[in-house]
Amino acid sequence: MARVKKYKQRNFLMIVMLFPYLFLLITFGLVPLIMAFFEVPGESLTNPDGGWDAFSIVVQDFRFPQAVKNVLGFMAIYVPLTLILVIVMALMLDVRHTRWSKYLRMAYIVPASISGAVAVLVWWAILEPTISPIKSVLGFFGIESATQIWQTKNLVYIIALITFFSIAGNWILIQYGSLQSISSEIIEAARVDGCSAFQLAVRIKLPLIRKYVIYMAVLLFAGGLQIFVEPQLLTSTIYTGIANAWSFDQLSYELAFKSGDFGGASALSIILLLPSMLGALIVIFKTDMFDDKAIRIKKDSEKADI
Amino acid sequence: MSTTVITPQPTTKKVKPTRQESRIGMFFVNAWLIFFAVISVVPMLWLVLASSKSDPELSNRNPLAFGSFRGYLNAWQNLQFFDNGVIGKWVLNSILFNAAIVIIATITASLAGFVISASKIRFKRTFLISTLIMMLIPPVALVIPLFVLMDKVKLVDNPWSVILISSLYPFGAFLSYIYYSTTIPPELYESARLDGCSDWQLYSRIAFPLSGALLGLLAFFAFIGNWANYFMPYVMLYSGENYTLPLGLGFLFYSTPAINPGIGATSVPIYKPEIALAGVLIAVPIMIMFLVSQKRLIRGMLAGSIKE
Repeated sequence: MARVKKYKQRNFLMIVMLFPYLFLLITFGLVPLIMAFFEVPGESLTNPDGGWDAFSIVVQDFRFPQAVKNVLGFMAIYVPLTLILVIVMALMLDVRHTRWSKYLRMAYIVPASISGAVAVLVWWAILEPTISPIKSVLGFFGIESATQIWQTKNLVYIIALITFFSIAGNWILIQYGSLQSISSEIIEAARVDGCSAFQLAVRIKLPLIRKYVIYMAVLLFAGGLQIFVEPQLLTSTIYTGIANAWSFDQLSYELAFKSGDFGGASALSIILLLPSMLGALIVIFKTDMFDDKAIRIKKDSEKADI
Repeated sequence: MSTTVITPQPTTKKVKPTRQESRIGMFFVNAWLIFFAVISVVPMLWLVLASSKSDPELSNRNPLAFGSFRGYLNAWQNLQFFDNGVIGKWVLNSILFNAAIVIIATITASLAGFVISASKIRFKRTFLISTLIMMLIPPVALVIPLFVLMDKVKLVDNPWSVILISSLYPFGAFLSYIYYSTTIPPELYESARLDGCSDWQLYSRIAFPLSGALLGLLAFFAFIGNWANYFMPYVMLYSGENYTLPLGLGFLFYSTPAINPGIGATSVPIYKPEIALAGVLIAVPIMIMFLVSQKRLIRGMLAGSIKE
């Protein structure tokens, strides 16, 4: 008891300082998760008797298979496209450092400021032949009217393009940064051994930044699964009905706010959370992304003062 | 052409790649790098230039031509006709909400990072792992449960719902932890303790004065993460006067004929340049932050994983 008292006394101020963040973490991280579980078995129009059937009911919703098709189709383009182009761009930037590199990097980060509602506006304009800054390119492909492009079947490509441009610049800079962490001795040794710039990039640099690539892949995957803003804005403001319940999060939103089915919406949120959670755990425990210092605080330090 | 046999020298001088490869290869590499830079800049250029023109000019003139500075002013004045100048309120809301988020998030995250790095409290590991998990889960994943929570505490359509939720800043807490544990040696705390410093003084007298770079980093990421945020305010706020700029922009798409042909003609002079100007107000502040803080972005995102 005396030891516990001493522990409390010694750490009281520390706990007070931690409290504001801890409060936010528990209230907006843990509590909603627990609430989502309790919300699932609630009674609703689709689940009149209530109960855990909510999970199977939401999966059997007629809009669910379509959302699976849309989101997986979108991710099949978006994730590899972003992953490959970002890595290629970062490796290319790293081939030779000139005074121009800085300006190139500045240019690449510009589209990152165009996201969400602004991205929808800008891409609406780019794909609208009457005002498009790439009129001639659209003309080359025989596109004279926006209706030729804005069709539900094309959305996976358009949304992949929009999200790619709003995220690529960030990642190019980050992966470029990760390449700077490779020691110059390794690079020079490889060059002395006769490595070409291409071999250097593929055989030496790429394996050395593997963990950052995995980190990026996990975040792209988790983010892609939760696509919402772009299709929702398109369907609710510009091209009405083009993407209704197009993605999982849109379906979840519709269930909650249009059908008042919070049980179903929560069930879907939980289903979607699982892959993200799994990805997070892989990055934390299966890569050394977050350095041993961060994760492996020696367990005995936790017991030290007890 | 020299005929001398060159033996590898034990030197650290840079060895150039073979000449032939460097010429052809580098041409393509440079060409691609420049091409990508151009396509990166064009959309933003269009956006900024669009609001300098009038609506007819937007279709008739070169898409990347500049109209006039007067054009910006006209577009801004026309926006005032929409809903009694509600755009001013949206700008103000965006600034106030974001200022509150940046301040709360930066302070709470910095304190949390300090406590994890300097204290010997229990459950530190559990705490850190939950922070990492929260950091890696996309924020939209919890929106529906968060709405249910806010509904229960009667904060729906209250700006505090968005401010408080967005102030949870696990990435910031992690960043602070890495920052403090790499810049301040534990011995410094120990000797300060021996000199009679309380835990609070360890923060206020030692850690805080050394936190300049960290606080800049935290504020930067908090700002760029929230300024253009759409989903959370979209779910939580529904009165027009509570909207932020991104929500307002969506509302303009929806309620004016500028880009939504489904809406019939209205007397309000909101056309494409006016909408583009609203877009500029959202995108340009973030662009400026990015351009002046490139190094911060890289340093922050890779913190803790690159050993210096």
